[in-house]
Amino acid sequence: MFKAIVIDDEVYAREELIQLLNETGEVEIVASCQNAIEGLKQIHALKPDVIFLDIQMPQITGLELLSMLDPEKMPQVVFVTAYDEYALKAFEDNAIDYLLKPVAPSRLEKTLKRLHSSVITRDFTSVTSAQLELVPCAGYNRVLLIKPQDIEMAYSDQCGVHVVSNESLKGGNKMSCSLSLKVLEEKTPLIRCHRQYLINPTTIREIKLLENSLAEIITCNGAVAPVSRRYLKALKDRFALS
Amino acid sequence: MELIFSLLQQLSVYLVIAYLLSKTPLFMPLTTVSGHFPQRIACYVLFSLFCILGTYFGLTIENAIANTRAIGAVLGGLLGGPLVGFAVGLTGGLHRYSMGGFTDLACAISTTAEGLFGGLIHLYYVRRGMVDKIFNPKVAFFVLVAAEIMQMSIILLVAKPFDQAWHLVQAIAPPMIIANAFGAALFISIIQDRKAIYEEYSAAFSSKALKIAQRSVGILSEGFNPETTKKIAQIIYEETGVGAVSITDCDKILAFIGLGADHHRPGTIISSEYTRRAITNKELFYADGYEIKYQCSLHDKCKLGAVLVIPLLGGDGQVLGTIKLYEGKQKLFSSLNRSLGEGLAKLLSNQILTGRYIEQKTLLTQAELRLLQAQVNPHFLFNALNTISAVIRKDPNKARDLIQHLSLFFRRNLKNNIERVTIKEELAHITSYLEVELARFSDRLEVDFSVNQSVLNIYVPTFTLQPLVENAIKHGTSTLLENGKISITGALFSHNNFPHIKLQVIDNAGTYVEGINHSGLGLQIVNKRLQNTFGEEFGLQMHCKKGESTTAEIIFPLVNNNINESANV
Repeated sequence: MFKAIVIDDEVYAREELIQLLNETGEVEIVASCQNAIEGLKQIHALKPDVIFLDIQMPQITGLELLSMLDPEKMPQVVFVTAYDEYALKAFEDNAIDYLLKPVAPSRLEKTLKRLHSSVITRDFTSVTSAQLELVPCAGYNRVLLIKPQDIEMAYSDQCGVHVVSNESLKGGNKMSCSLSLKVLEEKTPLIRCHRQYLINPTTIREIKLLENSLAEIITCNGAVAPVSRRYLKALKDRFALS
Repeated sequence: MELIFSLLQQLSVYLVIAYLLSKTPLFMPLTTVSGHFPQRIACYVLFSLFCILGTYFGLTIENAIANTRAIGAVLGGLLGGPLVGFAVGLTGGLHRYSMGGFTDLACAISTTAEGLFGGLIHLYYVRRGMVDKIFNPKVAFFVLVAAEIMQMSIILLVAKPFDQAWHLVQAIAPPMIIANAFGAALFISIIQDRKAIYEEYSAAFSSKALKIAQRSVGILSEGFNPETTKKIAQIIYEETGVGAVSITDCDKILAFIGLGADHHRPGTIISSEYTRRAITNKELFYADGYEIKYQCSLHDKCKLGAVLVIPLLGGDGQVLGTIKLYEGKQKLFSSLNRSLGEGLAKLLSNQILTGRYIEQKTLLTQAELRLLQAQVNPHFLFNALNTISAVIRKDPNKARDLIQHLSLFFRRNLKNNIERVTIKEELAHITSYLEVELARFSDRLEVDFSVNQSVLNIYVPTFTLQPLVENAIKHGTSTLLENGKISITGALFSHNNFPHIKLQVIDNAGTYVEGINHSGLGLQIVNKRLQNTFGEEFGLQMHCKKGESTTAEIIFPLVNNNINESANV
């Protein structure tokens, strides 16, 4: 049995696909999500074997969702779309599996066979963008989509990853983010200054040098990030300080 | 007394020469006070000649000359300004000086002074904005009287011995003052006549040309064919009063009106050598009936005796056809009609080109309309089918409804030859589209119609509202994480005391960015079709409050032919 999540913004499309998947008897649907943000949360929480992903969805498309996932923890992905000339061409070229709506049960069988044999790729770099356009964050009772350049720093603690943006500081709250620091480091302009901290180099106001080759970064809005010995040199090099 | 008559006698010869010259183009520059360099040169040359002529026509008295030289000098100044007046006076004066006599120096000085005096009067009137006065014979009369009195005074002052000068002045002053003053007045009146004739001629020409232009506006926009050219030929025939008017394309007669219409029938292949020559050489051809004989190539007894063939040239130098003006054998071709003919050919060429342009534009919008219809988004179709296949499981009746709506939508889309539909029909089209979309986004889309009954029977171009609604969903509400809301409104309102219709499609997304959406093409076509129908200022307006709402607004005036009378509201 595969643990699967269905992500599609249309309720009937989700129902139809879930029905078809249930009929195969090989798939257990662990979540049904109506947008990419919810999908991202559920993927992190439920760690499915496979996601069935619509491409055109509000705010964050299916393809953008993939670029937010850590490649090492990438589930298998099957795209489900009604029509998308450009994407389909790319899928064909890169051995990415996709289903066309309305989905034919016989075609779905074929996909499940492929899932068993793991012939479909988990490398989506060819179809996803190298840089994120928006970073989804959770505030109190709301979802915020933040542009990477507006983020001052990101850090992780026991509760997960948090993002401090110039906007959130005015409101006085930090937002939690379901992307890993690693994804943020790779797909946004943020750079690493500490094992648990990323900093946006364009919003640094001050780098305070401390004893023992340690340092502290103070951002334009007054947030403070520690700099560890390991990353201080790289940071100094970047600003030609050494 | 005898002197007065002989001087007037000389004056008449002088004026006859002036009159004859007035018939030549040499005189044209004198009829205006333009101040341009060529006009000044013409004034100088012509009046210097008259100045010298005046000296030669003079009568020798007491070792001096009684003359009409002053006319040339003063009028030169009056018409050409102080510089010209001075130059003319100096030329005339030096010439007089060369003839000798005891008044030679006095005459040279006084003639130059008279020229300058005329120039100063010119300046005075020009500065006051009373240029008309310069062409007034009375003014010329009094200016000459004054100038002659001045001359007499100079003779008295300069010529030696004084006794002889005094005696001379007593003898010649009255005849010279009278002769010069009358001469100048008559000279000016010749110029004035010339001016009047010329102005009348241009006025007649312009009014004819304008009238033809006015009457023929728009006719050729329906095409360059026998029907439209017949109308044009009729207008030209009526306005110019020529014997006959014909319009041809490059192969055959399209229209013929006037003398000889019995055998010059539209549709006849061009047989006239002249016409073919005009077409191949792209040149005007004129057979006046005397120097170049004209004989109708269709019928021996044709009454037409002269023809003017003018090719109609398109923008790229290509010949579109010809326009031919004929006169009967007994009549002369007036030069007015000749130049008018050339102007008409230009006018018609332009109108034909405009007509073609409009035709192409219409064709283009038809092609665009097809594109808009064909653009039915495959995404929409497959998603609709997917929705229906899901609905079938739960609610077969609803699924059947959806299939009905979907087929209605496609059926309307296929009616691609209808230019306009009523708002009611357009709303029905939207409804079938929306029923499908509402099922797709059943949990997060709301649509609200508030269209006033009064606008339902008003015509709009086909595919006006549907693309707006489609755009509002595709690029608006479907990008929202929260619920989408679309309102469609329609109402009559009064603007500048005229009834107008306002239609709006409003979504709550506020994501419209000019030029970025893929919908650009669809909205552009809607905009263009509205502008073509109602005029430039009545296109599609997009207003976007970022993140709040996007409003697509159409406003257009209510005109009579825009209402479907037969339908019941």
